[in-house]
Amino acid sequence: MDAKKERSLSRMKEEIAQFEPVLESLRENPGEMGHLQSFAVEDLVGNHKRIIECVEQGKAFLASQYTNPVEILTAMDVPWYFTVQQQFSAGGTGGSPHTIEDLGEMDRLGIPSDCCTLLRLLLYYQVAGLLPIPTAYLALTEPCDAVSGMHAAFMNHPDWRDVPVFVPDPPYHDDVRAFDYYAGEIRRMIDFITRHTGKGLNMGRLKEVVEETNKGYALWLEYSDLRRAVPTPHSYAMPMSCFYLLNTAGAGEPRVTQYYKDIVANAELRIRENRPEVPNQRIRLLWYDIQPMFFSELVPWLEQEWGAVIAMDMVSYCPYELTDTSTEDSLFRGLAKRALLHGPMIHQAHGLVDNVVHDITRIVRDYEIDCVILPGHMGHKDMAASASIARETCRDLGVPSLYIGMDIADKRYTTVDEIKNRISQFFTAMGLGEDRR
Amino acid sequence: MEGGIVSEAKTESKALQEFVRAAETIVNPEVKKWKDEGGKVVGYFCAAMPVEMITAAGFLPFRVRAAGSTGTELSDAYFGSINCSFPRHAFNMALKGHYDFLDGLVIFNSCDHIRRLYDHWIRRIKTPFVKIISLPRKDEPAQVEWFRSELAILRERMQEHFEVEIADDRLREAIALHNRSRRIQRGLYELRKSDKPPITGAEMLAVTVAGTAMPPELFNRLLGELQHYVSRRRGHSDYRARLMLIGGELDNPEYVKVIEDQGGLVVTDALCFGSRTLWKDVNENTDDPLTALAQYYVADRPSCARMYTKYEKRVDYIRNMIKDFNVDGVIFERLTFCETWGFEQYSLVNDFKKWNIPLLCVDREYTLSAVGQLRTRVQAFVETLKG
Amino acid sequence: MLVGGCDVGSATGKAVIMRDGEIISYEIIPSTTKPEVTARTVMDIALEKAGLSSITELDYIVGTGYGRLKVPFANENISEITCHARGAQWVSPTVRTVVDIGGQDCKVVSLGENGKVLEFVMNDRCAAGTGRFFEAMARVLDCDLQGLSELALQGKNAATISSQCSVFAESEVITLVNEGMNLADIVAGLHASIASRLNSMVRKVGLTEDVVLTGGCAKNDGLAKALQEKLGVTVKKLPIDPQIAGAVGAALIAAERLSKQATKSRA
Repeated sequence: MDAKKERSLSRMKEEIAQFEPVLESLRENPGEMGHLQSFAVEDLVGNHKRIIECVEQGKAFLASQYTNPVEILTAMDVPWYFTVQQQFSAGGTGGSPHTIEDLGEMDRLGIPSDCCTLLRLLLYYQVAGLLPIPTAYLALTEPCDAVSGMHAAFMNHPDWRDVPVFVPDPPYHDDVRAFDYYAGEIRRMIDFITRHTGKGLNMGRLKEVVEETNKGYALWLEYSDLRRAVPTPHSYAMPMSCFYLLNTAGAGEPRVTQYYKDIVANAELRIRENRPEVPNQRIRLLWYDIQPMFFSELVPWLEQEWGAVIAMDMVSYCPYELTDTSTEDSLFRGLAKRALLHGPMIHQAHGLVDNVVHDITRIVRDYEIDCVILPGHMGHKDMAASASIARETCRDLGVPSLYIGMDIADKRYTTVDEIKNRISQFFTAMGLGEDRR
Repeated sequence: MEGGIVSEAKTESKALQEFVRAAETIVNPEVKKWKDEGGKVVGYFCAAMPVEMITAAGFLPFRVRAAGSTGTELSDAYFGSINCSFPRHAFNMALKGHYDFLDGLVIFNSCDHIRRLYDHWIRRIKTPFVKIISLPRKDEPAQVEWFRSELAILRERMQEHFEVEIADDRLREAIALHNRSRRIQRGLYELRKSDKPPITGAEMLAVTVAGTAMPPELFNRLLGELQHYVSRRRGHSDYRARLMLIGGELDNPEYVKVIEDQGGLVVTDALCFGSRTLWKDVNENTDDPLTALAQYYVADRPSCARMYTKYEKRVDYIRNMIKDFNVDGVIFERLTFCETWGFEQYSLVNDFKKWNIPLLCVDREYTLSAVGQLRTRVQAFVETLKG
Repeated sequence: MLVGGCDVGSATGKAVIMRDGEIISYEIIPSTTKPEVTARTVMDIALEKAGLSSITELDYIVGTGYGRLKVPFANENISEITCHARGAQWVSPTVRTVVDIGGQDCKVVSLGENGKVLEFVMNDRCAAGTGRFFEAMARVLDCDLQGLSELALQGKNAATISSQCSVFAESEVITLVNEGMNLADIVAGLHASIASRLNSMVRKVGLTEDVVLTGGCAKNDGLAKALQEKLGVTVKKLPIDPQIAGAVGAALIAAERLSKQATKSRA
């Protein structure tokens, strides 16, 4: 394998080396949560290995994004990796040791610094040869300008120019006509995948996979309901993995469904025994944005210093519906609907701000939220313009809200200390955190 | 605006005077006259709007700008600090009542900032008819078909709300009318290919902006007058470099004037209010005008950075212009916080460096500000181009 | 042939007079609020130093800097980017990258062999990395600019200053002082942070040696050292006062204009 290919796999290999010892020790001493904590990481490591094998053996594989229906890729048995996986999972895994240096190198690329850092980082990884070059890739032009713009720039890299790419075109409406149009795009996507990997789609198999992920989604809905309990059963890592697992390469495998059964069981147990993972909960908050890459520096502090738990957050919020698999049309329509309306950020950004109002209202009421934090990632330009409406909604609901303004990929923009100060002042000013339960 | 675009033409050509005035204001005398005579005005954002549909309905198409905006103190309550200054200023003007004259408004899902402008507009501004259209990001047949069905729905809704008919033959007439505007404007661009262009970049932008703010028949008549005047005019030869201006939403001729005051002449452009709106025509030989419009607005006309797969075509468009207009250097302007053009900038910088095309990238706000800084950069850039 | 270059900056005004390709006098004064006044004053002093009685003795004058449009006696004005590049390279022909740190802006210019500006990048939107920033820090730490430089050089374990904005960096510094951190380390940290920003700017235009510093802040040895560490190459010292590089460049361009005119009239 040549040096270029070796380099493109280096980050995956590093992650494997970083996680395997942790997995090993969890296997030896799982405790109550061990197997739950390790599952998502194991899945990730397993997928890395699969991709490494594809590169080493010259097998076909894809790169893709989180809303391109993963069930299709599972059903077509096409190995794939999620290009921004590292940035997405950093919040839970502690992140890459290279981030500071990566950010420095990224700055030198000269992409205007008011553009989303998460995606500028991805362009840096591409330029630095740190992304395995796939047989073909599935891009995305939603939920925001940055994703679309980044993908357009992504196509131009000399090493990727000849790699076939397909992007489904998302309509801005949320009616049946829009779903059917997008279903058409999904079908075109399937043709594209077949053309470039030689693998076809068997509808029976797809139905099987979707029915399996339906089970996962149903369990996720159940799990989300359990989080309504006061105190809430789990800390933030379990909820985060809910999103990850139904959007990853293992989606549609029964073992993943088993995982959801297990976290539901653990949540139920903890509620019955009044033994929440986070003791002494005094504040229930809604974190309404994606998780920063440095989340592991914030959440333990929130939990320990303030007894503040994330009772619900944007990424693990589950307004999903089950897909009707009775006919081919209803199946595709369901997948299209999910891809257009339900995924995090898509749900908020792609679509009218009504989704934001609806979310906050439901969540605050259902989850007995004490305060809403709008982290305000600098790449979420539409959220910045929605904040006034979000705050108004909070006012109507009688809950305090805090808009922070940060860069989820770059601590230098708003430092962890600054964030902690803002949150502390907010809690104090609103009289939150005083024991009242 | 004090000081405006000063040129001897402004005092000698009535047409150019009208154009400059239209570019500097929102409700110019023509729009006022139209309304006073009982006419209706339908506003829109984005060059992807098939203005022919509004014209075919018998209404005046008006592209929303914020010329003359003095601040965003009202709209700041709705937008965040990382939002684009264009929708901020436009919304501010709307909140102050400057857009009360609109009988309708069509918005596209152009970008994150404009999408939220729609949300805020429908909550705060009492425009009687507001429709949001879903514009594709690709230009393949499925997308053209989708857009055609969006336009069909728009037609239906407009017919219903305004109680008018937007018949196919009226659409055909409108297409011919607007194509004529495009043709005459292209003729003006042609004159700038010479080494003594008779019209400056600032003046040309005033012309193209004015075309979005007055009845098309009148616009065409004035264009004819301008064409006549300009063809007899002594061209400009006192410039040090021939420049091309590229980017997105720029509707302020003053900005171009500041650039041209540093010694370079803007001889062509690839802008939202510029060449992209007029370089190609809508197909007039068509059974179905709506399809022709969809085909043109999604696929055939020069694309902007929002279109995902069209970068190479865009770049070819620019390179051809550079060749045909004998351009020495390119200036790329971007509104701060614009990610659509931010990532495009990255691609352009890399490619232009490879092709040895001198490129200056400048960020700007919607209203003209930081003029000293703009001058310094442009002046330094022009200095690198001479010899 | 007598020519003059006048660089009117936000913090200081500089004038340089050259005769037949040699610098015969120069002056640096603090800027007044009126660029015309700054220009006249600094030029008058330079004239006196050169033993000249009147500005009319100069055959051509080029103005540059932030106030270049207001230099009443200039025959022409040229951007400070072009002038700093020209001046630095004339003094030191192997220069290919100029890092200019002025009163309220900083820029990096990359040049070709013939002194032609290839690319430039400017930061004129905020104070970070400019003279203003160092002045503010000197105030907070109650020392002068020279003292600041010395402290930076003494720092062994540079503090990490994470704020991008100079206003917030000031608060960060005050916090560190109150926490009892060693002053030299804090100052070294500040310089490292500025050097980091400058490094980013250099990388944008591409690092080609030799690299020099110009502008008032170039006299800060602590900054030169910090920048050297970040860039990984030696930052050469200009053999003239780095603050006059712009005015020198302006004077050189003035001389060029003159000889071009002379050639034209001969032809």
